[in-house]
Formats: sequence, C-alpha cells, structure tokens
Amino acid sequence: MTSPQLEVLLQTIIAGLLLGGLYALIGIGMTLIMGVMKIINLAHGELMMVAMYIAYVLYSSFHIDPYLSVFLAAPVLFLLGVLLQKYLITPVLRVDAIIPENQVILTVGIGMVLSNVAAIIFSSDYRSTPVDYSTKAWYLTDIWKGSPIELSLSMPWSVSFVFAVLITVALWFFLAKTDLGKSIRATAQDKDAATLMGVNVGFMRIVSFGLGSSLVGAAGCLFIPIYYLYPDLGGQFTLIAFVITILGGLGSTVGAIVGGLILGVFESLTATYIGMGWAPVGRFVIFVLALIFIPGGILSLFKRRR
Amino acid sequence: MKRLLFVLTIVCAVTAFSANLFAADFNLSIPLPLTGKQAKFGELMKRSYEIAAEEINAKGGIKKQKLVLSFEDSGAKPETARAIVEKLIDVKKQPVIVGEYTSACAKAVAAVAEERKTPYLVVASADDDITKQKYKYVFRQNQVNSHYGDGVASYLKEVAKPKTMAILYESSAFGTSGAEAMVKDAAALGIKVVLKEKYEAGALDFKPILSKVKKENPDVLYMISYVMDASLLMKQIKELRIDLKLFAGGAAGFAIPEFIGNAKDAANYVISATLWTQKLNYPGAKEYAEKYKKKYGDYPSYHGASAYSAMFVMKDALERAKDWTQDKIRDAMKATNLKTAFGPIKFEDKEGYQNQNFMDTFVIQVQKGEFETIWPKQYKSKDYIYPIPAWKDRK
Repeated sequence: MTSPQLEVLLQTIIAGLLLGGLYALIGIGMTLIMGVMKIINLAHGELMMVAMYIAYVLYSSFHIDPYLSVFLAAPVLFLLGVLLQKYLITPVLRVDAIIPENQVILTVGIGMVLSNVAAIIFSSDYRSTPVDYSTKAWYLTDIWKGSPIELSLSMPWSVSFVFAVLITVALWFFLAKTDLGKSIRATAQDKDAATLMGVNVGFMRIVSFGLGSSLVGAAGCLFIPIYYLYPDLGGQFTLIAFVITILGGLGSTVGAIVGGLILGVFESLTATYIGMGWAPVGRFVIFVLALIFIPGGILSLFKRRR
Repeated sequence: MKRLLFVLTIVCAVTAFSANLFAADFNLSIPLPLTGKQAKFGELMKRSYEIAAEEINAKGGIKKQKLVLSFEDSGAKPETARAIVEKLIDVKKQPVIVGEYTSACAKAVAAVAEERKTPYLVVASADDDITKQKYKYVFRQNQVNSHYGDGVASYLKEVAKPKTMAILYESSAFGTSGAEAMVKDAAALGIKVVLKEKYEAGALDFKPILSKVKKENPDVLYMISYVMDASLLMKQIKELRIDLKLFAGGAAGFAIPEFIGNAKDAANYVISATLWTQKLNYPGAKEYAEKYKKKYGDYPSYHGASAYSAMFVMKDALERAKDWTQDKIRDAMKATNLKTAFGPIKFEDKEGYQNQNFMDTFVIQVQKGEFETIWPKQYKSKDYIYPIPAWKDRK
C-alpha cells in the first residue's frame, strides 16, 4: 500500500469513527426507550430537531455556544419526553386498539406535529450556527514534521465525539450504579418481575422516555456546529437511530454504541471505496443483513461463543 | 386637535390629487410561491415587483394608468399555478401574465398561456424546455440552464487552463444535468475528468469522498450543490487542506450570500457561475440593489433583479403596443429591445429556442468574504485571483 492510499484509508477510518460516535449517541436514546417500553420511538429524529432549534435560538439571540446549550437543551428535552410519555403515550398504551403497536403510530404523528410546528415558527429555511472554530483542525504534519502522510482531525467533530463519549459513560454509570438506573434496567428485563419487586414501572417508563429524549437532544446540540438544520431534518436521523438499534440488538446500550461505530465506519468506507451515492444504500443493506443473520444484535455473537 | 385636522386635510388633498393623476388602474396579478419550500424566492421576487411598481407609478404609470399589483400564492405547485392563471385569463381578462418561479410551474403556466393566446413573460425559471416548445406567446428573459456555465467554461479556457478536473454533484435532476453539461464542456476544452462522483443531498460527512479527491489531486474541483451542502463541502475541504488550483461551483448553493455566511473563510477564492450581481454595470442595477438592501437589509439575488426588470419589460411592451389586446401586446413584446437592471433584453429565436433572451453569464469569486465579479473581463469588479493560495498559507 502506497502512502497516498494509506492516507485515504486512515482518513476515512478517522472520519468514520467520529461519525460513528455521534451516531451511537443518537442510537442509545432510541435503544433505551425501546428496551424499557418495547416500542420504537419514530419521533426520535424530530426530538433531535427540537433540541437543535433550541441550540440555534440560544446561539443566534444570546450568542451561547452550541456546546454549552447541551446543558439547557437536554433538560428541556427530558421534560418534553416526560410530558409526551405521560399525556400521550401512556393513555394510548392503555387503549385496546384494532391495530397492534398503535403507540408506534402515535410517535409518527408526534414527529409530524413537531416538524410542522417548527416549520411554522422558523419557516423552512436552512439554519446554522456559524461558529468561529467550525473549520479548525489538527494536522499530523504540524505535530510530526517528517510525517510521510498528512492526516487531519477536525476540532468540532472531535469535541462532539468526546462529548458523546462522556455522555455515554455517564449514562452507563447511571444505569449500572444508581438505584434509579437499576430499576430502569429491571423494567427493561422483565416488567412483571420488576413490578413484583416493588419497582414503579409506569414511573420508570416516564423517566426512560425523558432520558432517551434528552440523550438525542444532547446529540442534536453536538451536531449543529458541524451540520445545519431545517424542520424536516428529523426523518433521516430517526432512520439512522433505527438501524443502530436493530444492529445493536434491540434494547442493548453497549450494542448501540458498537452499532453506531460500525455504521459510521461502514458508511465512510462505502463513500470512499464504492461511491458516496451508495452510502445510504449501504446503511440499509446492513439493516437487512442484521435482521436476517444476527436478529439478537451484534453482542449476541459474543454471547453465543461464551 | 387643530393640527391633527390640518394634517388630515393635507393627507386627503394629497390622496385626492394623486388619484387624479391616473386615468385608471391597471391591475396585474402575479402568480408566485409564497408558501412552501420555495417561499423564500417568491418573497424576494414579490418585493422586487413592488419596488418596480412603485418606481413606475412615481413616473406616471403605464400610459397614465396606475399599475396595481396583487399576488397569488401557487405554493410552487404546478396544478395551483395552472388554476390561478386560468382564472386570471378567463375571469379577470388579464391581457398579459408575468411571474412564477419553479420550472415545473412555469411549464404549466406556459401551456395555459399559449392555449389562450396570452403573452407570458417567464422571469426566473431555467428549464431548457420552456422556450423549446414552439410556443408563440411565451417569452423568457433569464438565461436557459444549458448556457448557465458558459462564463465558467470561458474562464477555464482563458485563465485557468486546467488539465484535470474532478466533479462532485448532488444526485438530483439539477445536479446530474449540471454535471453532464460540465463533462461536455471539459471534453471540448481538452480537460480530463479524473473523478465524477455523486452524493445524496443533505449528507453529513464529505471527508471520505474528499480524501479521494485529494489523492487524485486534479487541477480543478467543480461542485454542483444547493445551499448547505456547498458550505459543508468547502468547510471540510479546508479541514483536509486540499490544495487545488481552483475550486468552482455551479451557481445555486455557491452563488448566494448564505454560502459566505456559513462557510466563512473557507469560502474565500471559490468561483461560481451566476446570472447577475449588483456590481454589474447595467443601468439601474446598483440603485435597485441598494434600494432593496435599504428596505429589507440584504442584497437581492438574480431572481429579484429579473423580477424587478420584468415590470419594466412589460411596461415597455404595453406602451409600444397599439392597443391592449393579447396579440398586439405579444407583437410588442417580440420587438422588445430594452436595457434593464438585469441586462439587455431582446427575445430571439435561435438554437431551437423561441422568444428567448440570451445574456452573458458571469463568474464571481469570493474575495475577502464578498462576491466580486471577475469574468468576463469587461464586467469585472475586481481582478481574478489565480492560482489561489494554499490553505496553510492563509491566515
């Protein structure tokens, strides 16, 4: 392999990992909701869009850095998630409907309402937060003068990635070590047993929907410095989250992280070596293959061997 | 109280006087998109029509008639546009139609106008087909899509003289046709296309495809993208420090103020095709742009300039027409030879087009965060910068 080829390969993998880290954060939120509630939240991307608009408004009116707005947007989204769960989804869960999984259809409706409300308030114009550091990057040749290849690491992408990792670690700590976290996991594993053990299942559902929403909200704030925003943006991220959730094994947090990283790297490699127009196709090929061959998600492969 | 009465009397007197100035009202309804995705352009054009009407009325209207504009929202839907125009011609008996924005709507309106033998002036729709249907009553004052890149091609030929080129384009009708046109131009100029890749509009990360461009190291990178992809591309090109001799955009996303606003310093030295800029030496271009900026806080794009000038083209034709029947207006339109803020306008039949105005297209370059016209030479507002400095050497 010659050095230009190596450069392309390494740069592609770096791009893929950075993208994957952000994908993972989007995926985790959906996975969490999936695990506890057993429904796919198809308004996931729209919730992210709401958080991005919050970050946008904070930036354009008060010059608050999008990264700082994570700390405001995430709690707001938590609240929004709680309200949605309490007043819309829970009542529908109780109703005997003709169609199965009518809560899932409800989330589709919620998503549409959110994106149309955003279109009314902000119009369909593209928005962005043109921060000063948006094109800053670190270069290998700046650090190591004699390097035969040139690699670059984008600053906002790296910061977003680090943020995503920190949030993920915090979530893991919360789920593994705290009482509330353990109760959420118990609810996810076996609802009836959890109820018998004195876990308030209804409350856990509300908390996990709120938590899932705030995670994707945080992801939105991390995306806006490197991307842009418009009211219909949600759909594409809902799909990405959905693919990751399937790939990671429905309801598995670690699976979602691995799934996100795999998807990111896979998309980047497809873009480089097959063609960028194929990246969305590749995404769904992975999706279908995962459903057929590893219905339990990536982690099930390791478990089987044990 | 007395003072208030006084003011009121004056207001009444002025309105009475100005009402007397005009013999009658000439009502003109203009169909354009005011809602939906294209609303932004509709709004821009609406404002420009209004500025033009104000100026026309201040100078005595059209043959002593006051030009009264109203607008009908088509929402960029061809079927709505069609219905609006049918109503305007059949019910309101409007003798001439001006307006619409998207090519799909303009096509629908053109068919209705031709069927009812009513002259229709196309203002900003670029699809080649509209003036290729052998229509007698359809006129177009903006350049057609396939001539859009003429300016860039001549710049490449005369100045850049590149040997190799890479083309990135979005996978839409607009992107694909633009890329095909550039491949043809490149072949004619003897430029080898080393890489031609499409991408899905709205992509997040262009770095994989861009590192491929970096490896191929062509002389020129030509990109056809809408608004946000254009700035993402340039930002990521800066991040990867891809140093080529020239970065060129095919109008659209690269030729609007938002591009500079979003890409910031990464936008510097990028060239793009465009139909019009306020810095052009056309009569009234600067005045119109300044007036628009003063009123709405931003410079208008070519869409606005075309709309603004369309009112004067129509006024000119109506004044020359023997009477205001559809056929007489059509004949007057056909004889148009007018210098407007949008450029000289003359409706010709050539290259298979009918009643088409052919005009120069320009090359703009971002210099110090502003669009400057650099090509063709006689229109330049600043000298071109070529070759462009490497990313490392920029501050």
